[in-house]
Amino acid sequence: MTRARRRWLPALLLPFALAIAVVFGAVQAGASVSLPPKSAEEIVAMIARTEVRALSGTVEQDAGLGLPELPASGQGAVPGAASALEFLTGSHTARVYVDGPLKARLQILDQMAERDVVINGGDAWFYNSQDNSATHLTVPAPEMPAQNIPTPEMPTQEIPTPEAMAGRFLAAIDAGTEVTVAEASSVAGQSVYSLLLNPRSTETLVDSVSIDVDSETGLPLRVEVRAKGQAEPAYSLAYTQLDLSRPDPALFAFTPPQGATVTEKVVPAKPDRPTPDGPPAPEAQATPGHGSPGDDSRSHGVTVTGHGWDSVIALPAGSAPAEFTSNPQLSQALQPVDGGRALTTSLLSVLILDDGRVYAGMVPLERLQSAAAAR
Amino acid sequence: MRPGLGWALLGSELLVLFRRLRTWAMLIALAAVPILIAVAVKLSSRPTAPGRGPLFLDRITQNGLFVAVTALVVCVPLFLPLTVGVVAGDTIAGEASLGTLRYLLLAPAGRIRLLLVKYAGAVAFCFAATATVAASGALAGFVLFPVGPVTLLSGDTISVGESAWRSLLIAAYITVSLLGLSAIGLLISTFTDVPVGAMAATIVLSVVSQVLDNLPQLEWLHPWLFSHHWLGFADLLRQPISWTSFGENALLQAGYMAVCGALAYAKFSNKDVLS
Repeated sequence: MTRARRRWLPALLLPFALAIAVVFGAVQAGASVSLPPKSAEEIVAMIARTEVRALSGTVEQDAGLGLPELPASGQGAVPGAASALEFLTGSHTARVYVDGPLKARLQILDQMAERDVVINGGDAWFYNSQDNSATHLTVPAPEMPAQNIPTPEMPTQEIPTPEAMAGRFLAAIDAGTEVTVAEASSVAGQSVYSLLLNPRSTETLVDSVSIDVDSETGLPLRVEVRAKGQAEPAYSLAYTQLDLSRPDPALFAFTPPQGATVTEKVVPAKPDRPTPDGPPAPEAQATPGHGSPGDDSRSHGVTVTGHGWDSVIALPAGSAPAEFTSNPQLSQALQPVDGGRALTTSLLSVLILDDGRVYAGMVPLERLQSAAAAR
Repeated sequence: MRPGLGWALLGSELLVLFRRLRTWAMLIALAAVPILIAVAVKLSSRPTAPGRGPLFLDRITQNGLFVAVTALVVCVPLFLPLTVGVVAGDTIAGEASLGTLRYLLLAPAGRIRLLLVKYAGAVAFCFAATATVAASGALAGFVLFPVGPVTLLSGDTISVGESAWRSLLIAAYITVSLLGLSAIGLLISTFTDVPVGAMAATIVLSVVSQVLDNLPQLEWLHPWLFSHHWLGFADLLRQPISWTSFGENALLQAGYMAVCGALAYAKFSNKDVLS
């Protein structure tokens, strides 16, 4: 009998050893690292000084906003409102390749499918493997010299990286934000300083925003937005893998595959868009096709009330895309309220009035309604 | 114990396995799947709308090489686990029910070695089954449709030679994916003398695992399900190849192999072989 029992020993020890290995690995990953202390100002300066111009990495986006998970629609290469909503639910993985200021590629890795954004100078390609469609956006050549070419804005602003998102939050730091330094940790195998932005306002839904910055290069590697009254981060965008060497140049040369439906679009020279002060809604970061032609005409007449974290963005009548009413998935996510419909999440609220006005902000719905009533 | 004995045992095991009518019937059934797909697409007058049906179904008319990938997508959830479940569930229980297990153990082979040889046989079948689908798909596509450069999920185009290499990688990926299921089949097979029971239990488990994988409420469980990465071979069709899922899948399957192998050893070494 003892012999029989001894034979069961390896069978019991092995799962036990595996469990220990798994737990140990998880603890290791979350372990804090020791770095020379830095003040918040020093870390912000480090981000501004970062000299990373080329990278390839994997970005993971997690949204826990309390919205029901929508099936990935994946239709249409240039994402509309429905796919913006898609990025507010569940998690997405994407690969990002950046080479200098003018070349970037984003690959959204869907199950058995992929959506690609390839930016190379004045050309941008959107490709969707699901319906094998490609959209080609061209920026007319004369516009290129007008912009200061060496600015890194062009692709990195279009591509939703933790860096781009951190940039927007950092640009919005003002007296209404308390900036502190949290415990250092590690992201994508790099030790990072952690910057914590706490809104002083009590009106906003945002509890805190943490920005993890690579201790060596000053590149933001993870952005987490926490909502009030929710333990899990409401939104996080982080590198899971990062390689700072120059990606293969062939990645940025895109030719639409044979048999694909190709749509050509020319982007008119962009006027300087009014940038609303205050942190933008995360959906703006998550929409790869942010530079679509329709945007410019719509952004006229945008007004911002309030300040900083509790600002409310108002769009004039007629600006709500028809998709809001026609798309069954979207209309399902919207709940009827007085005088219109609303989308409420743990981090941001959107109010669409029946007359077509749209109010949005990282504030509770009541504040949007009072802002709408004040009009 | 002579070291050559294990190899001799493996040789005879493979010979028995691949001489069986049942094995051939299963491989022929698997080979028929891509042929059916190719013929159906060829005969249908309407072109398939993009985005409908299994992956790449709409591209088959443009490029025959997609038949193999489409067929693998169709086979991975059910047909492959079905055949692998039959082979893996039969390993020990089949011998026990035929009364041949006693004779196998009379030879100075040792129970560990017998288990390893049986498992190796099941793994060989996994590869044979996957390769059969891929090869028959490539052949059917080659005969019925034009063949040319292949479009990847990323929209990049690769040459025919490169696509053959990727097909091989996909076959390897799916073989690795089925290692965990084979180990589970082997484990269940040591618990019973009724091979049909072990086969059915293995197949049911593969279905259960896939159902659980589709329930969003059980998200914490998903990374631990052996079928979680089964359809991850699409990552080999990206440019550049994403190896993450290959690595995660291999690690997960190795874990299942280790745990089930250890349990199977414990059970089998204590088993009273009477028949």
